[in-house]
Amino acid sequence: MNIIKNYLDNMFLGLPETEDVNRAKKELLAMMEDKYNELKNSGKTENEAIGIVISEFGNLDELAETLGIKEALENKPDINHVSYEEAENYIEDSRNISPKTALGVFLCIMSPTILLLLLGLNESGFIQIKEERLVAAGLAALIALVAAGVSYFIRYSSKLEKYEYLEKNVFELDYRTEQMIRNVMAQYEHSYKSTVNTSVILYIFSALPIILTPLLFEIDELTIISVAVTLTIVAFATYNLISKGGIKEACDVLLQQGDYSVETKSNKTWQLISKVFWLAIVAVYLAYSFITNKWGISWVIWPVAGIMYTIISIVAQEKQ
Amino acid sequence: MISSDVIRGYIDTMILYLLLNNPSYGYEISKKIRELTDEKYIIKETTLYSAFKRMESNGYIEAFSGDETYGKPRTYYRITESGKSYYNEKCEEWKLTKEVIEKFIVKENNDEYY
Repeated sequence: MNIIKNYLDNMFLGLPETEDVNRAKKELLAMMEDKYNELKNSGKTENEAIGIVISEFGNLDELAETLGIKEALENKPDINHVSYEEAENYIEDSRNISPKTALGVFLCIMSPTILLLLLGLNESGFIQIKEERLVAAGLAALIALVAAGVSYFIRYSSKLEKYEYLEKNVFELDYRTEQMIRNVMAQYEHSYKSTVNTSVILYIFSALPIILTPLLFEIDELTIISVAVTLTIVAFATYNLISKGGIKEACDVLLQQGDYSVETKSNKTWQLISKVFWLAIVAVYLAYSFITNKWGISWVIWPVAGIMYTIISIVAQEKQ
Repeated sequence: MISSDVIRGYIDTMILYLLLNNPSYGYEISKKIRELTDEKYIIKETTLYSAFKRMESNGYIEAFSGDETYGKPRTYYRITESGKSYYNEKCEEWKLTKEVIEKFIVKENNDEYY
């Protein structure tokens, strides 16, 4: 039933909410609900019933003149129609590209590990090479990995740029396309949940090396190595999450739910606030850190900002 | 398949016919049209609603809120006197139309032209 309501909401999206229009919407919904109920009672499945109701709905153009929305219908600039093929391509591209951007992120997170490992091994006496050489080698590895990661990341994420309008604009889907996306989502949901679980467990465990090393071994120098181990675990967890998250994100974008809901997209003030918010946080972070040189503590702004952002977004959605 | 262009001029007639004896509401009318025509014509919701609006503003039908079914109030439509006379006019018009067009339709049993 919700699908029918959403369908109708989408059709009426962007039209002036005059009394006539609202009444039309209410009556059309009543007719569709009656038909849906009767089809269900006659033994049709929910999907069949919805399919019939939507295919027999007709076209709003027929009502344009009677409702005085002719102009509004003709100038519905924000409402694009996303075709079956477009949606399919987007999901397919997201599926292919997300493991690659994930690899880019993985390489960036891994980048300091070689340096840390070399320093750790050196300080604890496992290898004995001049520290300057170690640092040079480690830094070279760091830069190489970051470069590789970033170039990977940029190269592949740019392939999804052509779909940016899906994230920003309000659009509508036909019934068949929406069903296809819901099917993809349903098939995929189970494995995505286990992916998230695995990653969360890995994130929690990633703290263990740093906590346990000083307790188990009384060698201070091992701490550096334990940081490398922690980073490796974080890198794997993040890779896992991003590479499998692509399809979920694509489906969210296409179904206009979660962060991509019609309400969020049409809430221009909120979009502005969210842009300004993160810019402001970056500015505060850099200014504070450079002026006071307290880089050790200033990072705290990030988790705090994250929580603040969530709170503001909830308040903003509520107000709408 | 019925072309919607041809039938458009007679949708009002169909609806008025169904309202002649009893008031009715959207879904019931669309269901009766489907049943009476043996599913040869299925009226779209938007077509039906625009016909309601058009006839309401012409004064052929009146809307009123009726009994609650499934817990929600329903808009019913009843035919007015001017609706009845419009219906009769349309019936006459159709008889004439049918007679005229009929002259140009090849009869299936013999292929002679009239």
